[in-house]
Amino acid sequence: MHATPSPPGRAPGRLGPALGAAGAVLALWYLLARSGAVAPGLLPTPGATAAALADGARSGILAADLGASLARAGQGFALGALVGGALGFATGYLPRLSAAVTPVVSFLRPIPAIALVPLATAWFGIGETAKRLLIAYAVLLAVWLYVHDGVSRVPESYLRAARSLGAPLHRRFTEVLLPAAAPALLAALRYGASVALLALVAAELGGADSGLAYRLQVDGQFLRVDRMFAGLIVLGLLGVAVDFVLAAIGRRFVHWSAS
Amino acid sequence: MSIAVRLEGLSVRHGSAPVLERTDLELPAGSFTALLGPSGCGKSTVLNLVAGFLRPTEGRVTAGAAPVRGPAPERGVVFQHYALFPWRTARGNVEFALKRLGLPRAERRRRALAALAEVGLADGAGKYPAQLSGGMQQRVALARALAAEPEVLLMDEPFGALDALTRSRMQDLLRELWQRRGTTVLFVTHDIDEALALAERVVVLGGTPGRVLADRAVPAGPPSPDLRSLIARHLGSG
Repeated sequence: MHATPSPPGRAPGRLGPALGAAGAVLALWYLLARSGAVAPGLLPTPGATAAALADGARSGILAADLGASLARAGQGFALGALVGGALGFATGYLPRLSAAVTPVVSFLRPIPAIALVPLATAWFGIGETAKRLLIAYAVLLAVWLYVHDGVSRVPESYLRAARSLGAPLHRRFTEVLLPAAAPALLAALRYGASVALLALVAAELGGADSGLAYRLQVDGQFLRVDRMFAGLIVLGLLGVAVDFVLAAIGRRFVHWSAS
Repeated sequence: MSIAVRLEGLSVRHGSAPVLERTDLELPAGSFTALLGPSGCGKSTVLNLVAGFLRPTEGRVTAGAAPVRGPAPERGVVFQHYALFPWRTARGNVEFALKRLGLPRAERRRRALAALAEVGLADGAGKYPAQLSGGMQQRVALARALAAEPEVLLMDEPFGALDALTRSRMQDLLRELWQRRGTTVLFVTHDIDEALALAERVVVLGGTPGRVLADRAVPAGPPSPDLRSLIARHLGSG
């Protein structure tokens, strides 16, 4: 449940080595699938996987699943990031509040989101609400923790300087605390996005009628490994794309932070 | 001569440990006082009390006519590690101090550039703190503190992290700015030569808990070896 977040503000990697590695993996995969070491029904070739992917794209199923999953993950992420971010600022800035809620968070945090699926279903049914709330909850905890940590590490001297320069509370928040915590906020959002994908899969496997993980489950029941491989690759690419976009946005806003 | 800052019967305890005990001090308006002492003697505590960052356990701090209840722009602070905002350029840091005055944007910009020129940093206005050397960063911090036009300037070992040459240049700059502006300065340092080179008056703080061990005027002109050894003796006895 706990993915390691990439360091924020890292310079974009060179494309060459990444493409080379992808090519090597593809080649190995092809050779392994063709060697007969694995039963053909269990490991599709890259070509069969690509065909399954193209098939899904043509029929519109892929777009529908992608849309359903993105909507769930996006809405859950937005809600969780908003609430978690606000809580992170509050507890990071107010040590007394932090002392009160930290034990609660420490207790809740190790419970994987997937363990909450049955409870969420019991409370909210198998509709969209349960899924969105589950994702929001997982994102909230992740974002809260990161933002809390970042805000509580903002140097006291920044806030002291701002106060002795006559900046009122709203300026100390928007012009000092917010930018000072921005690198941590960015790391929190990137981590939160990866958690949202994990929770999305957990939520869809717990009962859904559309979505990327739901499709994986259906394909699994029919032993369509080519489609399952295609679905897993789409999930992986989705995660990479979301992180890439968040990192790019972050570099625009957090330009002063050491890269 | 009017009194810019008055400390009366100040005691500070940190938990149960006394940090400062029954300390009295008056800073006349326009004076330059060095607060000298070994680390842990409570000299930064005194500065933080005047700045309003700390409240005394006992006693009173008065600035001008009003009791100190918290930080205020009348009492500017220059921090040891500059405390510049790394997301703002040098000019942006100075403009942060000017925003309070509600000036039009162009006027704010003009004043910020003038303040940077005053500390010899007209060329670095567009640079971020990470692109500036320690000495340049401290110049920006000085420009930022002075831009708010404080009556009292509180400096907490501001040149402690600088190399000897940069340090001596910053000392010259500070003397010059003080003579031109007449701002009351309280300068915390553990360096006896720095205190004698800069200040009109040296207050030695020491002991556990901290208290005033000596309070000497520094005559104008070249530093006197007798005064230096006298202060050094007080420092040693703390």
